[in-house]
Amino acid sequence: MWIVFTNARKRKARLVMTVAGIAIGVATLFALLASSAGIQRGLEREIGGLGAHILLLPVGCPYTLTLALMQGADTLDYIPQDRLTDVRAAHNVRLAVPVVVGRVRVDDEMTPIYGTTDEILQLKRWGIAHLDGAVVGSDVASRLGLTAGSRITLSFYAQHEVDVIRILPRTGGRDDTFVFVPLEVAQNVLALTDELSAVLVQTENVERVAQTRQTLGRLANLQAVPPSEVFDMLVGLFGSMASTLMLITGVAIVVGVLTTMNTMTMAVYERKAEIGLLRAVGATRGDVFRLFVVESLWVSLVAGVLGVGVGYVVTQLLPRTTGFGLAAAPHFSPSYIGICLLVAAGVGTVAAVYPALMAARMEPIKALRAL
Amino acid sequence: MKIECRNVSKAYGRGQGRFWALRDATLTVAKGTHLAIVGPSGSGKSTLLHLLGCLDVPTEGEVLLDGVSRASLSDRQVSLVRRARMGFVFQQYYLNEAMTALQNVLLPLELGRVADRRKKAIAALSWVGLESKLGSLPGEMSGGEQQRVAIARAVAHEPELVFADEPTGNLDSENGNKALEVLQALHDERGTGLVLVTHDDRVAARAMQTLRVRDGRLT
Repeated sequence: MWIVFTNARKRKARLVMTVAGIAIGVATLFALLASSAGIQRGLEREIGGLGAHILLLPVGCPYTLTLALMQGADTLDYIPQDRLTDVRAAHNVRLAVPVVVGRVRVDDEMTPIYGTTDEILQLKRWGIAHLDGAVVGSDVASRLGLTAGSRITLSFYAQHEVDVIRILPRTGGRDDTFVFVPLEVAQNVLALTDELSAVLVQTENVERVAQTRQTLGRLANLQAVPPSEVFDMLVGLFGSMASTLMLITGVAIVVGVLTTMNTMTMAVYERKAEIGLLRAVGATRGDVFRLFVVESLWVSLVAGVLGVGVGYVVTQLLPRTTGFGLAAAPHFSPSYIGICLLVAAGVGTVAAVYPALMAARMEPIKALRAL
Repeated sequence: MKIECRNVSKAYGRGQGRFWALRDATLTVAKGTHLAIVGPSGSGKSTLLHLLGCLDVPTEGEVLLDGVSRASLSDRQVSLVRRARMGFVFQQYYLNEAMTALQNVLLPLELGRVADRRKKAIAALSWVGLESKLGSLPGEMSGGEQQRVAIARAVAHEPELVFADEPTGNLDSENGNKALEVLQALHDERGTGLVLVTHDDRVAARAMQTLRVRDGRLT
């Protein structure tokens, strides 16, 4: 084994470049795995966090509307508030929570607000009996320096003063970025009288969600969407982005293979005399083959470890939100390290086969004469 | 161990450019042999040494290892014979520059997974008078010392036959003599067969047997 290490030490600069070549591919792979997993988990948490079996949205693209809802962006279209009566009257509907979202100035800083009723407290555990003031997400609270008991001013089309009744503990999700206020306050500030951005519906019997969705979908001026459907679609969207990135990563890895192959081939030519000597002192063709493969394997494993490290750092530096404003902290799993090291080892082995065969096929005396 | 060459010839190149480096050579070397192959450069003496040492294959004729035709043995079998029973010393030493003297000597022992290899390597280096240079790199040693490391590498596994191709070719006479004495002692003390290729008459004079090669033919 030490034979391998002594050889690798001889050409330091080239060793470094080969290691870098493989490490870049591995780092890309690792970053990609961690961030796609992060995005998937982020979506799962956000959409799961809506707490609704069925989402009632204004007419329009349900995905855009869902994302707008999660970001607190203006949905542009609205559900007339009087629909709520019909919704509540529908069979199998246990709970219908009206929601209005939009961006307003909170103490002169643009912040998403979320107007809703006490019914929201059956979906979210905030530890309060009534939503009779502002419940503030942890990010907003720390940015604006708010504590329970502070008084904030919401202003946009109208102005409204509200007492902060609760600061929410950090969730890592979108709730951290919202200020939750009573429905009428939000409607007033956003000038959305008798209009809703969405309604969150919980059913009595979850098994009958499909029928209930159909019933609700027949109501005018709204559409009924199960969050799982939105989730699947968004995951699919990110999935296709991830495949494109995976392709690029694949190219990086192929380049890594070729670089390593090139280095190893050059090494074989340069070390002809050494190979000749090895053969003269009784190394079989198999010994010579193994020597080169093991050397390449070690180099690529070192590169793999380095690549995982670089990938980790890069992932930490990437923005924590996607283009849709979704929180997506990268997710690290030990299996990703395993995958990355396996890929690195594969690169090393594949790249070494041809040069190692070339080395093994050399006639001892021709190799010795090379000097 | 006995190696016989029967009417071996070796040609390089093809067609018009074909050149016979060695023609119709017949000889036998064995444990206990002390043979010097002499001749001007390009006479074919190194080719003969390579054929004896199974580093090369003859174009015509037959090489027998203990009576068995080399052509009937696999490359692996021949490698294993070289590993266990032969040693080689070259004019250019062929030491690995990145390895210490000890590591260089260990190399063939490591390949053969020889028992007590470290002890044997140290013993071989002591025997050539380099016990104080175990950790030195070739670059830190004189030519004479490097050649003695190469000799230690060739004899550490106690081979039955040692082949030396111009072992003194790159050395001044003092260092050359030292290297030769070590090789001579190998033959005298252990009965190791010694085949030397040289164009140095003083080297040839020490040998029990001398074989002259001229234009590819033994004379």
